[in-house]
Amino acid sequence: MTESQLIRQACQGNASAVRALYERYSPRVFAVVRRIAGDDDTAQDYAQEAWIRAIRALPTFRGDARFSTWLHRIAVNSALQALRKAETRTKRQAPMPAAIPVSPPQGDRDTLLGNLLERAMDQLPEGMRQVLVLHDVEGYTHEEIGGILGVTSGTSKSQLFKARAKMRDLLRPTLAGETENEEGVEAWGT
Amino acid sequence: MGHLSTETLARLVSEAPTPGEAEHLASCSLCRSELEDLKVQTDALGRLPDLRPPEGDWEALEGRLVSEGLIHEGNGAAGPSRWWASGWLQAAAGLVLFLTGAALGPRIASPSFFDDEPAQGAPGDVSLVPVEAGSPPPTTLPEAAEAVRMAERQYIDALVRYRQLVDSQGNPSLVGDPASRFAAIESLVAAGRAALQEAPTDPFVNGVLVSALAERESILRNASLSGDGVF
Repeated sequence: MTESQLIRQACQGNASAVRALYERYSPRVFAVVRRIAGDDDTAQDYAQEAWIRAIRALPTFRGDARFSTWLHRIAVNSALQALRKAETRTKRQAPMPAAIPVSPPQGDRDTLLGNLLERAMDQLPEGMRQVLVLHDVEGYTHEEIGGILGVTSGTSKSQLFKARAKMRDLLRPTLAGETENEEGVEAWGT
Repeated sequence: MGHLSTETLARLVSEAPTPGEAEHLASCSLCRSELEDLKVQTDALGRLPDLRPPEGDWEALEGRLVSEGLIHEGNGAAGPSRWWASGWLQAAAGLVLFLTGAALGPRIASPSFFDDEPAQGAPGDVSLVPVEAGSPPPTTLPEAAEAVRMAERQYIDALVRYRQLVDSQGNPSLVGDPASRFAAIESLVAAGRAALQEAPTDPFVNGVLVSALAERESILRNASLSGDGVF
């Protein structure tokens, strides 16, 4: 069944079609929502909220953009809006740890590096993390990010450079330790 | 000029350096190395893989979608643990129970039951007219549903009359006579087919029709095996 057929049937409330769309795109939706949310507990709620919104808005999808792009934008907006509604985010205000804990490498070097990056992103202040995720991970432009977050593109750039620097600060001790263990140099690519 | 700050180097990942910054980078291996690390970090962020949702995520989402009326429950999305919740199967099971109960009921009911509540019409005027033969086919879903209800009513009336005739005439040859039952099933099949034209995907209508067809096949098979010539 083609994607347009699935979408048409999902519009009519066909659960099989909705599930097929979910199976196809849930990893993409969950990934972006998880990185914006910054923790697993809220990520699932936000992702589900994103799907509810998407299915509800499905009749308005006209096919001008790719469905994956349309869905991705809904997921981003939904997660950001949910974050704004959150009353307090005390976790984000906690002092930054001196270093990211290192766990023994369990996979290839991309897996190790990916895990380090994910954990470092979780430690970023909310505003920095959002811009970093949208720009460096998801590929949005500063103009697009400004539109989504309601800030200027200059603010988006400034936050991005701070976020990259903070990530580097968070990862440096870990990677230095890895270097001493004669594993991190190769893994990090220096 | 001192070393470039990490934030400045982070900017140089995606923007060109000023002449002063370029000059420093050309002469400082430490800053060049730091910039290179930042580029690797940024490149790696862009290659992070998608993340699979936790186990049970779809089930939780499905429940929310159903509760908000965004999907219809039981139209194929349920997993193996929810097969029993299919409306189609529930309808079919309901009809089987109905047919079984209707068939067994007269046998276990006392004759006084029928004396207290006699069926309408004089004995012997049982006449089951198939919906499609005696009236125009339904053109709307309510009409089709009404046709099904009428067929069910006729079926029940036929069974009641059948029992009354057996009791009043004491004709053992009538016990197990499938003729009136077959006529009722035929009526259900006709009504089900008419309803299906109106609502091809309706689970209840499909369930009624499939069960009625299965029952009709059973009657025909039994009649064939017994050599009964009533059909």
